[in-house]
Amino acid sequence: MADAVTTAWTPRGSWAGILASGAFGAAGQPGITIEARDGLCIASLIAGDGHHQALAQALQGRIGLDLPVTPRIVSSTRHDLVWAGPDQWHLIATDRDGFDELLRDLAPLAAVSDQSDGRAALRLSGPKLRDALAKGCMLDLHPSVFPVGAAALTSIAYMGVHLWRIADDPESGDAVFEIMVARSMAGSFWSWLSASAAEFGCRVTATGRG
Amino acid sequence: MRITCPHCGARDVQEFTYLGDANPQRPEGMATTEAAMHDYVYQRDNPAGRHRELWYHGAGCHAWLVVTRDTRTHAIEAVDTANAIAKGDAA
Ligand SMILES: [Zn+2]
Repeated sequence: MADAVTTAWTPRGSWAGILASGAFGAAGQPGITIEARDGLCIASLIAGDGHHQALAQALQGRIGLDLPVTPRIVSSTRHDLVWAGPDQWHLIATDRDGFDELLRDLAPLAAVSDQSDGRAALRLSGPKLRDALAKGCMLDLHPSVFPVGAAALTSIAYMGVHLWRIADDPESGDAVFEIMVARSMAGSFWSWLSASAAEFGCRVTATGRG
Repeated sequence: MRITCPHCGARDVQEFTYLGDANPQRPEGMATTEAAMHDYVYQRDNPAGRHRELWYHGAGCHAWLVVTRDTRTHAIEAVDTANAIAKGDAA
């Protein structure tokens, strides 16, 4: 009986029913671009007591990235490691290939918890992005203090957010940020972001998942 | 007021939750007197001036901090993580 119900479930993207591809807000050239980052594999890692070095070595060996010890993100083509608090990180992969095995191999060194279905992430850019984020984000995101690779845990409109800056858009040269929230907050976060960004004109790319 | 979290940097005070005086040490419950436990639970100094206090960075890195603050001016003299103090690593 339980199995019959379970097989009726279908995967649903974290922005399903929230984000729709297209334009909204002020007409003309979009000041802000918003892209759903659906389908990421995300795991939280908390280093076990005395296992920081071993965890760092294991990750360097497996995915070639150094664990950041300050609020930063380091990236390769398939993986990211982002600081998520003292002795805590998020490991992010763009696809499931080898992810479960990687988590299993890290488990003796860290508390590992798959968060893939528990977070919702957006990639944001555009010449007016900082003006929109400034309506709710208390951090100074100016390039002089928030360079490429910087990450932060903070709150926006009373919602906990994890944000970081990745490489600039190669075409426009604009800064690119990713913001991750608890999936249960996706609708509320979108409510704040869409209201804050509308005056600058927005172009949205949803993935159509779910 | 801003608190400079040792992990996150300077953040607005609304990211933090105040717990209170960082100095009281819990007595050993089975060995202590009722009066000493009463003092630990209920009695607090209320200094006009230097105060060591516990703050929680709940809207950031979730670390507990020990902040040394002047209650008259809000000038902050030092911020350490409670973890470092517990391990004896703090300045
Ligand atoms: Zn912090």
